[in-house]
Amino acid sequence: MNKKFSRKALRETGQGYTFMFPALIVLGLFIIGPIFYTIFLSFHKVQLLGNATFDFVAFDNFKRILEDTRAKIALWNTFKYVVIVVPCQTFLALILAATLNAGLKGQTFFRIVYFLPTLTSSAVLTLIFMWMYNKDGLINNILDFIGLPTYNFLGDPAIALNAIMFMNIWSTAPFFMVIYLAALQDIPESLYEAAKLDGANVLQRFWKITVPNLRPVTSFVVIMGIIGTFQLFDQSYIFSAGSGGPDNSTLTVVLLVYQYAFKTLGTMGYAAALAFLLAFVILVATLLQRKFSKEESLY
Amino acid sequence: MEKNKVGKTILYMILGLYAVTTLVPFLWALSSSFKTLQEIVSGSMSFIPKNFTLENYKQIFIEQEHFPRWMFNSLFIAGVGTFLNLIFNSMAGYALARLTFPGKKALFIIILGVLMIPAQVTMIPNYLILKELGWLNSYQGMIVPGMINATYIFMMRQFFINFPKELEEAAEIDGLSKFGTFFRVVLPLAKPALAAQSIFIFMGFWNDFMRPLIVITDIEMFTLPLGLNTFKGQFVSYWNYIMAASMVFTLPVLLLYAFFNRYFIKGISFTGGK
Amino acid sequence: MKSKKWLSALGVTSLLMAGVLSGCSSDDASSNKGNGSTEDGEKIEVSLAGWGGNPTEEKLLKQTLDDFEKKHPDIDVKYEVISEQYMDVMKTRLVGGEAADVFYLDAFEAPALIETGVIQPLDEFITDDFDVEDFEKPLAEAFVVDGKTYGFPKDYSTLALFYNKKMLAEAGVEVPKTMEEFREAAKKLTKDGVYGFGVAPELARMYWLAESQGGEVVKDNKANFASSEVVDALQPIIEMHNLDKTAVEPKEVGVNWGGEIFGQEKAAMVIEGNWAIPFLADTFPDVEYGTAELPAVDGKKSTMAYSVAYVMNAQSEKKEAAWKLISYLTGKEGMKTWTSKGYALPTRKSVAAELGYDQDELRTALVAGASYATVWSKGTNLPIIMNNFNNQFLSAFLGQADLADALKEAEKQANSEIDAK
Repeated sequence: MNKKFSRKALRETGQGYTFMFPALIVLGLFIIGPIFYTIFLSFHKVQLLGNATFDFVAFDNFKRILEDTRAKIALWNTFKYVVIVVPCQTFLALILAATLNAGLKGQTFFRIVYFLPTLTSSAVLTLIFMWMYNKDGLINNILDFIGLPTYNFLGDPAIALNAIMFMNIWSTAPFFMVIYLAALQDIPESLYEAAKLDGANVLQRFWKITVPNLRPVTSFVVIMGIIGTFQLFDQSYIFSAGSGGPDNSTLTVVLLVYQYAFKTLGTMGYAAALAFLLAFVILVATLLQRKFSKEESLY
Repeated sequence: MEKNKVGKTILYMILGLYAVTTLVPFLWALSSSFKTLQEIVSGSMSFIPKNFTLENYKQIFIEQEHFPRWMFNSLFIAGVGTFLNLIFNSMAGYALARLTFPGKKALFIIILGVLMIPAQVTMIPNYLILKELGWLNSYQGMIVPGMINATYIFMMRQFFINFPKELEEAAEIDGLSKFGTFFRVVLPLAKPALAAQSIFIFMGFWNDFMRPLIVITDIEMFTLPLGLNTFKGQFVSYWNYIMAASMVFTLPVLLLYAFFNRYFIKGISFTGGK
Repeated sequence: MKSKKWLSALGVTSLLMAGVLSGCSSDDASSNKGNGSTEDGEKIEVSLAGWGGNPTEEKLLKQTLDDFEKKHPDIDVKYEVISEQYMDVMKTRLVGGEAADVFYLDAFEAPALIETGVIQPLDEFITDDFDVEDFEKPLAEAFVVDGKTYGFPKDYSTLALFYNKKMLAEAGVEVPKTMEEFREAAKKLTKDGVYGFGVAPELARMYWLAESQGGEVVKDNKANFASSEVVDALQPIIEMHNLDKTAVEPKEVGVNWGGEIFGQEKAAMVIEGNWAIPFLADTFPDVEYGTAELPAVDGKKSTMAYSVAYVMNAQSEKKEAAWKLISYLTGKEGMKTWTSKGYALPTRKSVAAELGYDQDELRTALVAGASYATVWSKGTNLPIIMNNFNNQFLSAFLGQADLADALKEAEKQANSEIDAK
């Protein structure tokens, strides 16, 4: 290695860290710092209020998860939620994007309309939906009108989580749709022309050209979807007023973390342990996704 | 040709159906915001208010003298926060995409890892840090912790990886430093990506509920989500007011979106080089 | 490049503006209030946190605080509203040592919070003319732990039976006095899409019934609600919903709580508290209704009492001033102003007598309940016990599980959470 090269490397290192500096400060102070603090907490029995106490308990908090029925319910609910919502929202986003991209008139109008849910705060959306989900609300009225059975969406344990799923697919799909739309612009028109000449119909072109070309984006969309859905909180919180009810049916892991961190005193350490379990699960899910999609271009 | 027409009709039907699904909740909320409480309570399912009234909107501004101030706080925090995010996220994304330096890979993995920890669990330590800095109840306390965002660093990295190298090389030959190149050449060209990012980030600040709830104690410093909630607490079951307040809360973002819409599609590009 | 300069200028100005504005806002707050008085010397600012209420309640509180500031020109009260997740925010701020000097505390949360030592015992401040004996005893005792007093209840409400006069008359039903009569009445009242009883299937509202046959919901600070006495006592509610089909939960008919289901005349009877009276007057003024004491079980009357106290932050640096505020707000004068409109019932016997709520047609039953009510506050683990009860009880209520099994499951879970603490 000659001198000039290493000086260049040194300079680039300096530049790299200068560029990263603001991000590193904020990350370190407000994200990594608190995470380390949380790691510390997860090995302790903690009472932060009043005369704060920290008793080292090694892995007790993690062992406790195994005996906690509600933790299992929360994990199961979250799992169901992810497994249903991620494919649905990804697929819906893809279909919407492809349809919007078909070169029809009025695209801009549809695009603006479709994006509305993403532009509205989840608090407002949840309010609107809770109101529509009312037993006498709009949705039941429509169902009734077209001769379908009506539901007690908010109060029935068998339905409540599905109601949240539906709402979330509805509001998240457009966000990913925009990302797909952008990517669709990058697929060369010539590919489609060639396929047309070969006599491929719309569906064939969609499966043979659009889908494979969108792989890298799909990978991003799925990863973001997995991370987002595993951390479902706002909606279950608002729907159940923080309890995770009815009958634990809307209890998610993050809601449980929140309950242990804030509702019950002295369980902060356990909440931290649960949060790390969740992070680990998300990590595994992300890695699995990567393995299945065999997609390297994103990382 | 015939076949094409059928296809088009089907496409329009899909588009139209979904547009209706999307619009209905908003129209429903909008129409309720113009209804009287009596009409809402009566369980009327009409989208057109029987007695169209602006009273709800008037009332929320009268009952809540702070409403304009909350609106300002929200706009200010979200505006400044978004501006800082755009710069810092792109800087970090650029370094991760374009520069070689030791520890880069580790940093990237950390940034991805950060996304996986639920924010609820770091809320208390975060609060303690803000307190040590004396930033509680301040605009800094609301803006600084959120002035970078791991998701969008990740996104900007993807964007810069696909960025044509030639321009930067030309700039460097012209004697521009890396910073000069970044601010004068790269960033202006990234405008579409920045525009897209800005909406997402603006939304993040605009909707943030937990941080202001804990950090802000002074009613003058409230943001709209906090205000909306106070409001909700005061007017339980007054759906007409709640929907009017929700609409007021949603409008600024819609305007912003309408303004930036054209940058949108051009902006986000993730696909690898073609 | 031009745009870059412009951008950086914007960045700098906005940051500067942030500083200026945050400065401004705090100046504003103090100067505004300062105008009112011409006193010399430094003013002490005492912060007060609560969860806010409807506009009328807010005005009453403002008025009470204004009166206080007039009496104590050296003290400014800074009132903070924490709109949502009140206790979570309070706890976080207490951890950070930034909580208000004086704040609301629900009796239900009190034992656990007091145990951590963040609440200031008030005994050293109490003077004779504050007249502690004047408070309704069970309500005041909810904030006494190991002989120390940590707060004084600002108001309370018990539960009473609200009945729709017209519907009862049409069905030819007398106001039920016992649980048996109640169940029969509900049957007769259920018709034409109207339910006899709008019920809130949760522990806070079921507690009085749960313990009506000698069972104990909480025993030795642990869940004990799966005992046969409790299950038997609660069984009628389950049967009313699933067998008689005379009881309904507000959500099942598209409303949020009992006041609404009653106001919209979807249920002929509900069990609610004082809070429903102003709500009904404001929102559903046309509904004609009456209130009565809750139906007796085996000849025994019972009801719940819910109470909120003003407590002092143990870390407060202005304890003298904070006490002045608490003692005014819970004193005879302040309490009279606060409860004057009937939005809340006074916890002081003397104030109650003066305002005459025991003579008020709608409130007689509520006031009468105070003497035999169980206060909604049972040891440090009640929040855990309640959460598990509510979750499982609802599934039994909806007919998805057997009540005894559901409660057994919930009790097990609650106690394992308590043991692990």
